[in-house]
Amino acid sequence: MRKLLTLTLALAVLVAGNALVFAQEADWGVRGPYVDEILLPIIADDEAQLLALLRGDIHVLPGRANPAHLARLEAEPNVDVTVSPGFHMFYLAFNMRKDPLDDIVVRRALAHVIDRDEIIFSLFQGYMLPLAEFVPPASPFFNPDVDVAEYDPELAAQILDDAGYVMGPNGIRINPRTGQELRPLELLTPTAEEAPTSAELGVIIAEAAQAIGLPVVATPMDFNVIVDRISKETEDGGRNFDMYVLAWSLSRFPTHLYSLFHSDFDVDGGNNNPGMRDPQYDAAAERVFRPRDLDEAFEAAYEAQEIIQWLQPYIPLYSRPYFDAFRSDIVTGYVPHLGYGAASNVSSSIWTPLNIRLVDQERGGTVRFLLDVEPGNLNVLVGTSAYDSRVFGLVYGPGLITAEPYENQDFPWEATHWEVDTWITPEGNEGSKITYYLRDDVTWHDGVPFTAHDVKFTMDYLKEQRVPKYQTAWIDYSHAEVIDDYTVTVYFNTVSYWHTYNVAGFLAKHIWENVPVYDEFEPWKEPHPTVEGLTMMIGTGPFVFKEYVPGEYVRVVRYEDFWAGLDK
Amino acid sequence: MSGTYIWRRIGYGLITLFIIVTLNFVIFRIMPGDPTSLVLSPDFTPEMRQLLLEKYGLDQPLPIQYVLYLKSMLTFDFGRSFYNRQPVLEELLARLPNTLMLLGTAFVLNVFIGVTLGLRMATKQGTRLEAAVTGVSLFLNAMPGFFIGLLLLLAFAYYWPIFPIRGTMSVPPPTEFWDIVLDRIHHFILPVAAVTLSGYGSWYLYTRNNVIGALSQDYVLTARAKGLPEQVVLYRHAFRSVLPPIVTLVFLSLPGLITGAVITEQIFSLYGVGRYLIEATTQQDYPVVQGAFYIIALAVLISNMLADLAYGLVDPRIRLR
Repeated sequence: MRKLLTLTLALAVLVAGNALVFAQEADWGVRGPYVDEILLPIIADDEAQLLALLRGDIHVLPGRANPAHLARLEAEPNVDVTVSPGFHMFYLAFNMRKDPLDDIVVRRALAHVIDRDEIIFSLFQGYMLPLAEFVPPASPFFNPDVDVAEYDPELAAQILDDAGYVMGPNGIRINPRTGQELRPLELLTPTAEEAPTSAELGVIIAEAAQAIGLPVVATPMDFNVIVDRISKETEDGGRNFDMYVLAWSLSRFPTHLYSLFHSDFDVDGGNNNPGMRDPQYDAAAERVFRPRDLDEAFEAAYEAQEIIQWLQPYIPLYSRPYFDAFRSDIVTGYVPHLGYGAASNVSSSIWTPLNIRLVDQERGGTVRFLLDVEPGNLNVLVGTSAYDSRVFGLVYGPGLITAEPYENQDFPWEATHWEVDTWITPEGNEGSKITYYLRDDVTWHDGVPFTAHDVKFTMDYLKEQRVPKYQTAWIDYSHAEVIDDYTVTVYFNTVSYWHTYNVAGFLAKHIWENVPVYDEFEPWKEPHPTVEGLTMMIGTGPFVFKEYVPGEYVRVVRYEDFWAGLDK
Repeated sequence: MSGTYIWRRIGYGLITLFIIVTLNFVIFRIMPGDPTSLVLSPDFTPEMRQLLLEKYGLDQPLPIQYVLYLKSMLTFDFGRSFYNRQPVLEELLARLPNTLMLLGTAFVLNVFIGVTLGLRMATKQGTRLEAAVTGVSLFLNAMPGFFIGLLLLLAFAYYWPIFPIRGTMSVPPPTEFWDIVLDRIHHFILPVAAVTLSGYGSWYLYTRNNVIGALSQDYVLTARAKGLPEQVVLYRHAFRSVLPPIVTLVFLSLPGLITGAVITEQIFSLYGVGRYLIEATTQQDYPVVQGAFYIIALAVLISNMLADLAYGLVDPRIRLR
């Protein structure tokens, strides 16, 4: 809780507003939903979305980022803006394969010339959180004790002087390895047309570096070209860049410490773009990726953060919190969720859809929740956008395990509890086995009970069909054993505590067992075989999918027999 | 107009189409990156990337991809979008009615208002009215489309909220037939107005300038000398002579009706072809861009041919051989 308070206080200082609602202020409950229906009108344009909220055409406006819009919303007496620190990380990355960025001295000197507060105020009017660490503070695995390089340009210059990078006659430092001036260092940024703040940020960093004699030059270029240059191996096995700025959307788990920086991913198409190769770090990162239990996960994550903070393959710069806006004169009961926002990530945070209600009636009514972008595909195995997920979250719910909104600790959902153990695979290796004890009162929207058979079927189907979207779930999956209708043991070929969160049961066996090719199935268009008024898109979540009119809206209604329903 | 001419035009058209189709294939493959490189997730492993490439058929050698691509173009089976796995043709056809409704209506209004005003103002050259109409038309024509769209939205959907802010129907939509029709019209008024206001000016200026030129010609002087009424001089002599290039422009503009109006579709949240195309291009969604550009190329070639034929019909001096 201390961490959360620190964060929100920091944000309160940064954001000069008085209509902000922080996570710890909201009441939340497991029972719901209160409203009869959620309508999700599709509004593509940013300005039109804002006007729609002010007009009352929509009541919930998730994921605002435009500072001008936020200032406008905060000034509206009938609008609440909730703020939740997220798992977003905007960073500056180095190519550690090339001179002089292979020298830790140069990277650390650069880390000391970056003034995050100035960047946040000048580019974002304060609507961002400074981020210097490799795990965002919203994650339970954030290590608050790592030493971060503070803004101190004099120290940066001193570090370079001490390491022999003396200032040359042209204001450019001399490379001690060659005795020549340092070569120009290209900093790739998206173009001003694509991402104006990122392009401007590149210029700010370049000027700060030049001020201490490092010849950094910001080079805006097309986003596709940047991605191509940083991820594709050149003929000599390197990468064609010096530095770049981009962002990641991370999660509450620290597994990115493995997939972004372990030497195994310093390959063509791998995400270790800086080319970090450090045996000590690799060992810690492997334990982060495959911990036997939560204690080991914490210990390894803390250790990995300490090492990487020193090696500085990236300089994390800032993190975008979730700003979600609500018409406070029309709706209430929204729940800001640390890391996920109050309405931005419905698939990971069910609390707002469950608790939201109209201010003038305790139950019933319709809430209008913006859908910023057309759903791509409402087949849960195919749709990958945040907007598909918004609908999936309402219909399928959070799954077996979710997270409570204050500190992101595990919260049992369709599983009452679970046991994590190991087993020996037929090949003689150790693997994880997890036994889930399911609730016995969960039903699919057509009334069929949700059982252990659905969990086993889902895992088998994902593996059999090699579904790319869920590769992390099935790649190490071995098999599952149904102990009884509400108990299932799932076996993996490797040991990792994270497998606990990869087990899913969102495919109704009685529907999906007749689907031979998963990505040609359009469940939202197919009528349910036995229940009138339903489609094949049935889940176990609090809302039943009713219709999607392309270009217009999605409509879901309250599931009368939801296991956590108000009348249960 | 001879049959030989038509066959020759069709032959040239097919050669052009083949070149366009081939370029369409090559251009997207030589662009940096591929559809999988835009999947930016820390969990996205090289193995996952390979799985997607196999799924998309991009693991096959380029010549095989090219043959499969040609086959898909010839059969109009464009496959499924890489991004959302929806059939491309189905999605294009689903979006086309909105685009046609928006751009078709705006096109008719543009031509009608532009040509009519142009014709009228050509006869009032030098008056205050003509100066005002020309000034306003030039101003609107020079204004960015998004600016006009946003102004309309602010004025008539927010400060004076008499029009809806988004889409082509209310949410939830009405159920009675006439209510549905009226609801649709109500939703299309602002976007059509935005496209018309930013588009009629070029038709107006083109017509006005050409008619002014025609009115100074000897044959118009002769017609006036014969004592013909001014209306007859204007329509049968001056306008008749500027009609062929206007008809050509009309036909050449027709393909634009299916390419969509990206900015207007975005501002008014219209489910149209323009946004689909732009999104597919930035996502390197090959099946979508290939299918869409193929249809657009066909439309351009057919329109050009129709323009040639129409030219012969409206100008008896033209004989196509």
